Amino acid sequence: MIGEVAAIALERFRRTWELLYLLTARELKLRYQDTVLGFVWSVIKPLLLGLVLYLILGHVAKIQTDIPLQLVILPALFPWSWFQTSAIMAAPAIANNGNLIKKVHFPRYVLPFSTVANNMVHFLLTIPIIMIFVLASGRQPNYTWLIGIPVLALVELVLLLGVVLFISAIDVYFRDLEHLLEVLLNLAFYMTPIIYPLSTLGRYQNVALLNPMASLIEAWRNLFVRNELPTPMDLWPCLVGMAAAVLIGSFVFGRLERGFADAL
Amino acid sequence: MHSDDALGVITLEHVSKCYYLRAQRPQDLKTAVLHLPSFLRSDRSRRPFWALDDVSLSIRRGESLGVIGPNGSGKSTLLRIVADLARPTSGTVRVAGRISALLELGAGFHPQITGRENAILNAVLLGLSRKEAAERLPEIIAFSELGDFIDQPMRTYSSGMYIRLGFAVAVHVKADVLLVDEVLAVGDTEFQQKCYAHIEKLRAEGVTIVLVSHDLGSVVRFCDRAVLLQHGRLQIDGESQPVVHEYLSRITRLIGQPVSS
Repeated sequence: MIGEVAAIALERFRRTWELLYLLTARELKLRYQDTVLGFVWSVIKPLLLGLVLYLILGHVAKIQTDIPLQLVILPALFPWSWFQTSAIMAAPAIANNGNLIKKVHFPRYVLPFSTVANNMVHFLLTIPIIMIFVLASGRQPNYTWLIGIPVLALVELVLLLGVVLFISAIDVYFRDLEHLLEVLLNLAFYMTPIIYPLSTLGRYQNVALLNPMASLIEAWRNLFVRNELPTPMDLWPCLVGMAAAVLIGSFVFGRLERGFADAL
Repeated sequence: MHSDDALGVITLEHVSKCYYLRAQRPQDLKTAVLHLPSFLRSDRSRRPFWALDDVSLSIRRGESLGVIGPNGSGKSTLLRIVADLARPTSGTVRVAGRISALLELGAGFHPQITGRENAILNAVLLGLSRKEAAERLPEIIAFSELGDFIDQPMRTYSSGMYIRLGFAVAVHVKADVLLVDEVLAVGDTEFQQKCYAHIEKLRAEGVTIVLVSHDLGSVVRFCDRAVLLQHGRLQIDGESQPVVHEYLSRITRLIGQPVSS
């Protein structure tokens, strides 16, 4: 009996995993289909965005930082883009696939999850760029990257999975969320220490840390620029946010999932 | 498994499904604000629509059942409930075994990728593992008669080719129960014959089949049993020939002139 239950659970898990893999592979393939540069866009786009920010902050606003400005921006911008793009793309992942949801039985959460996985691949492709800029500034990446990158990527991944469960489920019933989300994420971009280090905030640092992404982005930057491994002490706001996102996300999704087919 | 045989592979007990019709719900904020009082009132008095009303039905293993009735009588809702795509508002549904639902051929096909890639993804969506899908792919391709087109993006396909591939994938997902919703009306006559021949073969292998169709001739031909749904209620349940006859004579009475069948 227990063996049977385990076999069924394993079968379900395998199917979900394969579906996730196939959908992610399809999205990756489709993204730059019929473009001349193809996957190169994954590298060029964030780089150009970084360049724009660099020019504005360094040459127009002329802000002063203790580390080179490009090392403030890039190691924070790329993990942030993963978060932002995933959230925006995942919001309508259920709502836009009404036909599929109404006609085929499959675990619905693979739809938002595959956008997170897809954007994770694009993020991982941009890590070599960060590395080039770090090396160019005369710093040496060391073994900490090999531990830090998987750990931080896992934390961001789990946080994102919780977030996209929540927003993709809500979006089915409240499509204004897609527009609201764009505005909120723009706001969050400036409230998260991406184009400035956390230290510039002085005594407001603690307020900024209420944002789960703040400690995570700061940890990414410290890893890439200073070879510092994150400690649970540094990351706790993000870990709390991650746990909350997963709990709330799976609860809300589980509740609303039953009505998807009728609502779409 | 034998107890399933006795009880029926699909059992519906007093199943009802209610949809709420949102009458004149304002679509944008301005209208909503301007009509706030009536908006709040109308939302509370949503009009219920019973797509299925107290339907009890038991289908035995290996049986093939035709579901007939006019448009909007609840046939598709019935299939969607059996396929677990919609939850009944009340009543219970019990299904033993793996279901393959042909509610729409090629649901989830993407025009930008090849027929081969779509076939694999579709097969996994319908419940196969990647390994099984890869094993059955040659059979699927042969059945679809697409030849070299299988490696072309699906946007280059004609609608007939699209349907062929969709059907080929769906019937190669080995299932205990096959639900077919009016999908065979499309495609050319030759392919239709092939589909029916394949369904016949599955039936001989002991697959339970539930067929929703307006093509009463094929219901008589392929189903041992038929049910007539009207206004969400199960009107008649019996051998397919008499049920179809009764349905036709009801239509005749309604229109007031003979209908040639």
